[in-house]
Amino acid sequence: MTTINNPRLTQVFRFLHASYADGVAELAYAFDDGEPMVERIRFPHAPALPDGHKAAFDAALKLLHLIAGVSYYKAGVPPKIEVADGPLDDATADLLDALYLHGLAEFAYRNGLDLRGRIAFPRLGAETKSASPGNGADRPTAKALGLPHRTLVPIGGGKDSLVAVEAIKSIGGEATAVWVGNSALIAACAERTGLPTLNIQRELAPALFELNQRGAWNGHIPVTAVNSAILAVAAILYGFDSIAFANERSASAATLEYEGQQVNHQWSKGYAFEQLLSDWLHTHVAADLDYCSLLRPYSELAITRAFAKLTPYFDAFSSCNRNFKILGPKPADRWCGQCPKCHFVFLALAPFLPKPRLLAIFGRNLLDDEAQAAGFDALLEYQDHKPFECVGEGAEARAAMYALSQRPEWQEDALVARFRSEILPQLDVAQLALEPWLEPSAEHRVPARLRAALQAIA
Amino acid sequence: MNPNAPAPLPADAPWIVMKFGGTSVATLPRWQNIHELVASRRAEGARVLVVVSALTGITDALKQLCSEGDQGKRKAAASAIAQRHYDLLGHMQLQLPATLGERLDELAALAVEGPSRQGELAWAALVQAHGELMSSALGAAFLSHSGLPTQWVDARDCLAAVALPNQNERTKLLSAMVEARPDPALNVRLAAQGEVFITQGFIARESEGRTVLLGRGGSDTSASYFGALLKAARVEIWTDVAGMFTANPRQVPGARLLQKLDYEEAQEIASTGAKVLHPRCLSPLREPRVPLLVKDTNRPELEGTVIGPQVREHAPSVKAISARKGITLVSMESVGMWQQVGFLADVFAHFKQHGLSVDLIGSAETNVTVSLDPTENLLDSDAIAALAADLAKVCRVKVIAPCAAITLVGRGMRSMLHTLSSVLAEFDQLRVHLISQSSNNLNLTFVVDEDVVDTLLPHLHELLIAAGALRTDDSVLFGSSWQQLYGSGEAAVSQAWWREPAERGRLLDIAAEATPRYVYHLPTVRQQARELKSLAAVDRLHYAVKANTHPAILRALAAEGFAFECVSPGELESVSAAVPADVPLLFTPNFASRSDFERGLATRATITLDALHPVEHWGELFRGREIVLRVDLGRGLGHHEKVRTGGSGSKFGLPVEQLDTFLRHADAHGVVVRGLHAHLGSGVLDAKHWGEVYSQLASLAERIGSIAFLNIGGGLGVPSHPGEAKLDIAALDKVLREVKAAYPHYQLWMEPGRYLVADAGVLLARVTQTKGKGSWRYLGVDTGMNSLIRPALYDAWHEIANLSRLDEPADALFQVVGPICESGDVLGSDRRLPEPQEGDVVLIAQTGAYGKVMSSPYNLRGETEEVVLDS
Repeated sequence: MTTINNPRLTQVFRFLHASYADGVAELAYAFDDGEPMVERIRFPHAPALPDGHKAAFDAALKLLHLIAGVSYYKAGVPPKIEVADGPLDDATADLLDALYLHGLAEFAYRNGLDLRGRIAFPRLGAETKSASPGNGADRPTAKALGLPHRTLVPIGGGKDSLVAVEAIKSIGGEATAVWVGNSALIAACAERTGLPTLNIQRELAPALFELNQRGAWNGHIPVTAVNSAILAVAAILYGFDSIAFANERSASAATLEYEGQQVNHQWSKGYAFEQLLSDWLHTHVAADLDYCSLLRPYSELAITRAFAKLTPYFDAFSSCNRNFKILGPKPADRWCGQCPKCHFVFLALAPFLPKPRLLAIFGRNLLDDEAQAAGFDALLEYQDHKPFECVGEGAEARAAMYALSQRPEWQEDALVARFRSEILPQLDVAQLALEPWLEPSAEHRVPARLRAALQAIA
Repeated sequence: MNPNAPAPLPADAPWIVMKFGGTSVATLPRWQNIHELVASRRAEGARVLVVVSALTGITDALKQLCSEGDQGKRKAAASAIAQRHYDLLGHMQLQLPATLGERLDELAALAVEGPSRQGELAWAALVQAHGELMSSALGAAFLSHSGLPTQWVDARDCLAAVALPNQNERTKLLSAMVEARPDPALNVRLAAQGEVFITQGFIARESEGRTVLLGRGGSDTSASYFGALLKAARVEIWTDVAGMFTANPRQVPGARLLQKLDYEEAQEIASTGAKVLHPRCLSPLREPRVPLLVKDTNRPELEGTVIGPQVREHAPSVKAISARKGITLVSMESVGMWQQVGFLADVFAHFKQHGLSVDLIGSAETNVTVSLDPTENLLDSDAIAALAADLAKVCRVKVIAPCAAITLVGRGMRSMLHTLSSVLAEFDQLRVHLISQSSNNLNLTFVVDEDVVDTLLPHLHELLIAAGALRTDDSVLFGSSWQQLYGSGEAAVSQAWWREPAERGRLLDIAAEATPRYVYHLPTVRQQARELKSLAAVDRLHYAVKANTHPAILRALAAEGFAFECVSPGELESVSAAVPADVPLLFTPNFASRSDFERGLATRATITLDALHPVEHWGELFRGREIVLRVDLGRGLGHHEKVRTGGSGSKFGLPVEQLDTFLRHADAHGVVVRGLHAHLGSGVLDAKHWGEVYSQLASLAERIGSIAFLNIGGGLGVPSHPGEAKLDIAALDKVLREVKAAYPHYQLWMEPGRYLVADAGVLLARVTQTKGKGSWRYLGVDTGMNSLIRPALYDAWHEIANLSRLDEPADALFQVVGPICESGDVLGSDRRLPEPQEGDVVLIAQTGAYGKVMSSPYNLRGETEEVVLDS
C-alpha cells in the first residue's frame, strides 16, 4: 500500500467492500493501491434484520456503497472505476453513470473539468446478459416484503420538508422524521413536528480530510442521493414502505448550461434521479418500497403558500445554508439575510404572508435593502445566472416579485420600487402571473397510499 | 399570649400594603418568607394589608377550564386545581380552613353549572376570580396559624368597578377599572377588625354586583387601589427582582438598579419596556402621593426601587433606556396633506377601520409616519395589506418593519440634549426612521431597524454613562448593576493593580522622577495571558503586537508560549529581535505593498492575504507557499466605527463573493490556502460573537478543502467603566468548544492584542493648573493626545485618577485636558475628582494598549518614556 501524495494524479477509484453489523455500516474505498478509506454510517437502536429481508438489505447496502463513493471519487476523479465484487447490471450502472455525471456537473464546472466520457462504471459483458434485449429483461425482479405502512420523511430544517410532514399528518399517515448528521436546527424542527424521530449519523473517512489537504478536488456533491440511499437501507432495516422526500418541481431545472452540458445544482433532487432510484429500488430491493417526492407536482411558490399556513414552525425553521449549524433564538441566528436561500425564501413567502409576520421571521426586510440588489437580480435571472443553491426558477421569482410590485404595502420598498422602474418595463406582464405557479403538475411518483396528502398542499 | 408580641396598634396606625405574586405564594418556604416580612412590617407599627395573586399556574388552569365545553372535563379541571391547594395545605400541615372549603365548593359548582346561566363572560370572570380567592383564604389560615392573626378580606367588598363610556361587555367584565380615592370609612372599618389582613389581587365588583377582573397586571393594580383607598404609608410590590433597572438586564447586564423614580418616570419606563410593573398600577397612587416600593422577595436586603412624588434635589439625568421590538411603521407621503383640512382625520380613520392602534407619530408638511405595536391583528391578518391599499388611494405609502423603538426616559429630557452628542453620533450609521420627543418632556424615542438593537442597546447604555447623561455617579439615584446583584457568582470587579498601596507608592516614585511616563506591569500581562491559555479549544494564540511592541512585553509573552502577529515589516523586525527564533510568526498586513510581501516572505512568518490583487498580479511571489486568507464575512462589530473591520464599509478582508476567483488564482500559482481568517472588530464583550465567526469560517473552509486551521482574530473586549461586566472567558471557552466539536478537523487560532496588555499599562502625568469657564472646570495635565490619542480618535473612555489623592472624596467635576493646541485634546470629560493641586500625579488607566505605539511628536512635546515593572 502506498500513500496518495496527490489525489489528482491517481488512476483508479476502487469500491472495496461494504459491510454491516450492529447498527453500523462500513463502506470502504481506495485510490490506486492506497490505504482503504472507510466511511461509517450509524443507525441508532437498529433492530435485528427480519428473516427474509437479507437479500433486500444487501442490495440496498450495495447501492449505498456505490452512491456514497461519490464523496471520495471526486477527490481525484481518476480515469478508471473498479468495483471489487464484480461488474454491475445495466440498470445499476446506468443509475450510477447518470448520478456521477450529472450530480458532479457543478463540481466539474467549478473546477474546469469535463467528466463526459470519464465516468464508466464496470458493466456485465453482453455474453452474460439475457438473450432477449429490451424492457428490463436483464433486471432482477425484487419481491414485495410486506413492509409496514409507514413513511420515512427526511427533515432538512427548511420549509419544504415541514410542508411534507404536515401533509402526511393531515391524512393520518404514520411517519417518522429522519435526518442524517448533527444539526441542532434540524433536531429542533424535527421535535416541533411531534413525530417520532430517527437521527442517522454519517462519519466520512478521516482519510478524506487528509486528501483534501494534499490538494484533492473539492466541490458540490449530490448529497440528496447519498441520503436517499441511506434511507433505503434504513427503510429495510426498521421497516418502512415509503420514503417521502420534499423535492419540488423546479429542482429539475438546470442552473446553467456549460459547454453543452446542463448543470443543475440540485440534480439529485430532480425528477430524473427520483425515477431512476424509484425504479431501481422496486426491481432490486423490494417491490413494495416506494421512493418519491411528495412535493414533486408543486412549484416553490405553491409550497411556500402551503408553508405560510404553518405558523408554529415560523420561529424554528431556516432554509439558510450559511447559518445552518448554529441555532439561536433570534432571526439573525437562523437567517444570514445575504445568501440566495434567504433571498428566495423571503421573496417566495412574501405574497402569502402578512408583511409584518414575514419581517418578524427574518428579523429584517431584505427587499428594502439596496445592498441585496445583486442577490435578488440573480434570482430573477436579471444580469446574472441562477445561483448555485437550491432555489426556485427565475420565472417563479419574477412572478413573486411582480405580485409584490402590485401591492401597496410592498411597492415602495427599495428593491420592489427598483423592480417596477428598471426591470418590469423589460418584461412581458402576461408571463408574470402568480396563479399558474400554484397549479400542480401531473408528474410525480407518489404511491397510492400517500396520494391524498397531495390535497393538503394544493 | 406571646410575650414578644408587639403592643396593640392605635386606630390611626399607618397602613402598609404588600403585594405578592404567583410564585411567591406557591410553596411553603415562600409563605414562611411572607410571614417574616409581614411580621417585620407589623413590628414597625403599621397595619398590614397583604394582596396576593393566585398560585402560579392556577390562573392559566382556570382559563383552560373556562374554555372546556365538556362538563366532565371542567369537573376534572376543577378537582385538579383543588388538589394543588390540598397539596400546599398538606405541606403547611394545616386542616382545610372553612373559608377555603367554601371557595373550592363554589368552584366545583361553577364547573358543573357552566356558563349558560350567568352568561359566558360573567361566568368566566367569576371562575377566574377563584384563583385569588383560594390563595388568599389559604394564606389567611397559614399566617394566623403561624402566630400572626390575619383577617381575610373580600376585595370585591372594597373595590367598586366604574362604568366607562368606551367599554363593551368584555372589557367591563375582564379588564375593569376602579376609581380609588382615600376612603376613611373603609380605613376605620378595617382598623376595628384587626392588624393584619389578606385580600385578593386582580378582582373587583361592578355596580350590578357581578365579579369582575382587572386585566393584565391586575394584582399590582389592586395593591395600588388599596394603597390609595387606605392612603397607605407605602405600597410594596414583592417580586423576583430588586426593582426597575436602567435597561432590561437581559439585554444589558451592566444595567443599574434605579433606586428613586417619580411616578411619571416610572410609568414611562414601565410602558416603554420594563416588565416589573404594569404601567397602569402607578396612576392611582399619584394623587394621594402614596409611594410604591419594588422589592425582591428572595433578596429583601437589597434597596429596591422607590417610586414617589417628584424629587427636585437631583441633577437631571437619563434614567433608563429601553427597546421595544416588533414595531411596524407606516409612512405616508403626499403633497395633498399640506394645509388641507381633515386630511389627517381621513387617514387615521383608516387605521381605526382596520383595527390598528397608532402609537408614535412624526409629521412634516408632506409626510406623516406612525408606528404600530405588534398585535395579533397586525401579524396574522391582512390588516396591513388592506390599510395600505386604502391609504394608497390618497398618498404614497411605505410599510417599514421590523423596527424597534429605542427610548431614553428621564425627566427634563429637552434640557439634557447637549449631553447626548456622543450618544446621538451612534445613530449616524443607522437608518433612523422616526424620532419622537414626547410633549411631557419625559422621553426621547428613536425608531430604528430591529436587527441592530441587540448590539446597539448595551452600547448606548455604556455611552450614556460615559457621556454623563446617565449619572451613575449619583449613588442616591442609581444602585448596583444587575451583573453585580445577580450575575454569575464571580466577583465582577477585580481591583486594578495600581490601586494596591505598594504599587501606588512605586508609581508615585516613578512619577517623581519624570512625567509623562508610561508604566507597564508585567505580572498583569502574564495574568491575562494565562487566562487566555485556559481556552482549551484554541490551538495557537498570537499576540497582536501592534497594541504594544515594547520588547519586555514581547519577551514576557514569548515566555508564556505565545506566537506573534505582525502587520508590517517593521513589526516583524522588532519581534524577531526580541523573541527566540523558533517562535511562530504571522504576517497579516492590509494594503501592503509588493515589497512588504517580499520582506515578509523572507522571514519565517506565515503570510495572510486579504485581497485579490496580490495573488492576481504578484502570484509568482507566493508560488509554492502555504498562505492564510483573510475574508470579510460581511459585517462588523466593535465599540467604535473606526475599530470595526468587517462589512463593505471597511477596507479589510476579501469579500466572500470573490472567494472562488481567489482560489482559482491561488491554484494557478501553486499557492495553497492553508488557513482562513476573519476579524470583525475590537472591544467585543459578547462571547457568542466568536462562535459565529468561527462557525462561519468553518463552513467556508469546508468548501475549500485545503484548510487546516481557522484564525478567528481577536477583538476581546476590555471593559473600561467601573462595574461593567468583563468578557466571560468561561462562556467564550464553552462557545468555542461547541463549534470545535462540530469541526474537530480544523485547528483554531486567535490573535488577541489589547486584551493582553491594556490593563497592564498606565500613563502618569502631572497636574499643571485648573481653569474655570462658565460652569465648566478644566484640569490641565502635562501630556495629552500626543501621548494618548484614543480618547480623541475613538471617544475611548479611560479611567482617570488623582494618584496623589486617591483616598480623598471625588466631589469636583472636571474636563481633563492636555497641553496640545487642539480643542480635541481632552483625555476625559466630566470626571469626578478630588480638588487638585499643581504637581499632583494623575493616572490614566488601561493605556497599555494603543498608547505609546500611537503617540506622535505633534507640537514637539517630546517622547513619553516607558518604564517596565517586572514584578
